[in-house]
Amino acid sequence: MPEDALRIEDLVKRYPTGVEALRGVSLDIAPGELFALLGPNGAGKSTLIHCTTGLAQPTAGSIRVFGHDAIDDYGKARQAVGLAPQELNLDWFLTVEETLDYHAGYFGMPKRERRERTKELLETFSLTEKRDERTRTLSGGMKRRLILARAVMHRPRLLILDEPTAGVDVELRLELWHYVQRINQEGTTILLTTHYLEEAEQLCDRIAFINDGQIVGEGTSSELAGRYGVANLEDAYLALVGRNELSRSKIEVVS
Amino acid sequence: MTAAQIRFATLWRREVNRFMKIKKQTLGAPLLETFLYISVFGAALGSRIKELHGIEYVVFVIPGLIMMSFAINSFANNSSSILQQKFQGAIQDQLSSPASPLELLLAFSFGGFMRGLIVAGLTFIAASLLVDLPVDHILVLVPSLFLVGFFFSQLGVLTGVRAEQFDDVAFVQTFVLTPLIFLGGVFYSATLLPQPFETLTHFNPIYYMINLVRYGFVGFSEVSIPLSLLALTAATAGLFAVNLRLFSRGYKLRA
Repeated sequence: MPEDALRIEDLVKRYPTGVEALRGVSLDIAPGELFALLGPNGAGKSTLIHCTTGLAQPTAGSIRVFGHDAIDDYGKARQAVGLAPQELNLDWFLTVEETLDYHAGYFGMPKRERRERTKELLETFSLTEKRDERTRTLSGGMKRRLILARAVMHRPRLLILDEPTAGVDVELRLELWHYVQRINQEGTTILLTTHYLEEAEQLCDRIAFINDGQIVGEGTSSELAGRYGVANLEDAYLALVGRNELSRSKIEVVS
Repeated sequence: MTAAQIRFATLWRREVNRFMKIKKQTLGAPLLETFLYISVFGAALGSRIKELHGIEYVVFVIPGLIMMSFAINSFANNSSSILQQKFQGAIQDQLSSPASPLELLLAFSFGGFMRGLIVAGLTFIAASLLVDLPVDHILVLVPSLFLVGFFFSQLGVLTGVRAEQFDDVAFVQTFVLTPLIFLGGVFYSATLLPQPFETLTHFNPIYYMINLVRYGFVGFSEVSIPLSLLALTAATAGLFAVNLRLFSRGYKLRA
């Protein structure tokens, strides 16, 4: 039986301030899955992602990426992960091309392969004309493209997308989703967080709800809706956060 | 090249590339500053002071200036590079890569070391063209300069990691390092000072560094060379060990 792409067991993250961002999270994502993690702001989504990628240190529990422990065997675990973070965390000193080249270098990719892969991704993400521009001069949409290109640059087997379409226009959002679906079909496992529920519903095989540092529901969108006794994923989400009164089914249409 | 070698070379290249992109500020300004010191203290004051301990005054001053430029540039580069990347969040790209704490620490350290070496090297070349600068004890000079550079690189890394705002870095440079360097005897001999200042100078660690470098160039020292070298080696190793521990723990780098 193949190793899970991501296996998280009883993960606890307590910050020095005493805030417990994750309170015993367990999660399994199979290889090749497109998995969505949904929850309100502050629920623990980004903390879970940071613990998986080494940006935060778990207080307790374990994380395994394709069988490699994220703490004891961090080199192999991180090699398998690509992260497109929520923040536009680009280095202002670097050009678009350098951003991709350096990232691949950090992951040990040889020079010739880096050059070919950079060229390919610049074209894929319509960044070729911007290749020599410093990242701080890019528009928000261009930065978002570059962050996704950087995340896939070293060909990770698990791609983590933390709200990748926040603040982007419709055209770019659709472009990004087409790309994500394509690489998923080619075998890349994807963990996605988003606030666009209809996208999670359409794109993802399985969805988990996280709230107050705990996984409170997991399954397909219809399974989740059934669990909360509502018609769709959005209503299930509203039930989760205790805001049923916002359900569209309860809005009266005035003619 | 192995993947680890590519990774380390890239991490280092990024640090060097950063200061090379802003050469006017990182190389030009310190060179001009050193040239002004040589002009003011060497040409203007030197015409009155003539000699110190039988050494032409300008020749007495230049070793201290070379040591000072190595130290300040190593420190300034690393402290601001790390803090800037923390501010932008760009450091997450290196932190989520398979790079080990040792690789990250060495790459950040060598960035500043290279900048210090370039500025000190150019200062030496320029000074050699202006005055007859001897190199009496190269076997003391080279290790002393390298240890000074590495010590201040480590201090820069430590300050950058600990800092939460640019004020924190400026504080160390302006209120700690600059006074210690100026009062460490770059421009004068401690033996000329009245008490208690002569004795107090012996509590300034930079006094010993200046004497080591001065001895390497002109063969004159007010302190024990073997003891000073030993103390500097121990202090550098100690600081490196502290930094390695901080990087391994992810102190102020990983949440």
